[in-house]
Amino acid sequence: MGRVEDSLVVCGQCGLAHRWQPLQDASQARCTRCDAVLGRSHRLSIQGILALTVAAAAAYLIAISSPLMSLSLRGGAETATLPQAISIAWQGDQQLVAILAGITALLAPAAFIGLRLYVLVPLAAGNKPPGFAWCVRALHQAARWNMVEVFTVGVLLSLVRLAGLAETTPGPGLFALGAMTVLFASIESAGLKHLWWQVR
Amino acid sequence: MSAAADDGSAVYLGCESCGLVSRDLVGDDPALVQHCPRCGHVLHGTKPFSLQRTWACVVAAAVLYVPANVLPVMETTSALQRDEHTLLGGIHELWLDGSWGLAIIVFIASIAVPVLKIAVLALLAWTAQRRPDWRRLERARLYRLIETVGHWSMLDVYVVVLLAATVRFGPLASVSAGAGLLSFAAVVVLTLLATWSFDPRLIWRDPPATPNRRDGRLA
Repeated sequence: MGRVEDSLVVCGQCGLAHRWQPLQDASQARCTRCDAVLGRSHRLSIQGILALTVAAAAAYLIAISSPLMSLSLRGGAETATLPQAISIAWQGDQQLVAILAGITALLAPAAFIGLRLYVLVPLAAGNKPPGFAWCVRALHQAARWNMVEVFTVGVLLSLVRLAGLAETTPGPGLFALGAMTVLFASIESAGLKHLWWQVR
Repeated sequence: MSAAADDGSAVYLGCESCGLVSRDLVGDDPALVQHCPRCGHVLHGTKPFSLQRTWACVVAAAVLYVPANVLPVMETTSALQRDEHTLLGGIHELWLDGSWGLAIIVFIASIAVPVLKIAVLALLAWTAQRRPDWRRLERARLYRLIETVGHWSMLDVYVVVLLAATVRFGPLASVSAGAGLLSFAAVVVLTLLATWSFDPRLIWRDPPATPNRRDGRLA
């Protein structure tokens, strides 16, 4: 076991060690060598992040179950939900692309929300859930692979590209994706390392 | 704010998962592994095989970038004709249609971001080996830039998947993914993996004491 240095923080980008000093509200500390952000002062409590996560879970359920957009052409109409789009790509002999889209737009966001709920509900009550360390590591990976914001812009772009060809209507799924993008950004801004401060 | 802690020869390792700082006990010995005492995550002075993995992914991405641009990423069928669209061709069509804003967005996401990532990672990996003390702060900023924009090259993959899912009117109008889409998706994933394999701490490593050793590490 290494000797723990409680008064230090190491820059994740360049590895330089700094001494902790309390941050003023709405300020951030930067590495003196490589200028990367070392830490921000947070306003969100665990309960606050939990509330945002519950909202994101509701938006996620709407985003995957309702149509993202619908397209009508000479009397015929087609709608597509996110799981449908992925299964159509799978059937169209693009299995690897379907897997990639499934991971980045469907599974990673689900893990991002689900693991946070699993961790935050006990933490809000003051308990440490079993498998906490594993969950935080998995959350780092989920955040890496989550591309909901890119997917949302992809839906918008498809709508605009089709607008000249046929009658297009944005579906409720698109608005839910937009809400998810904003909620994910505010949840992520709180970071993951601070979760460990709650279990001291 | 925070002041740099200059504590003689001691080397500190920050846990990537929980942020706890420990003293480095194993140094550069690859046979020993140190774990974070709080969360059990492996602690590294630098990521293992960082440059080898980065080079492997960058070279593979550069090779696959050729079919990704030459082969069509999308095929459209309408009542009159069947068309194949490459990445650049699609951007050119958008531009001709007068959708300049869209053409610029797609150009940045599909052409500029992948090329930037491949070029920057090759530069970072090369300078980490050969020119360790050249413009360190700028290189650190470049790395953070490609880390931030990396996801956006997935944009065209999503657009093709969505168009294929909605434009399904049989012979009247339909869209399907082309052979180039898989290569392009592979380029996106490989550049992401290359970005994550590269260790930005290598930018700040001092020149090796024995410059005649090619891998820049002391035995």
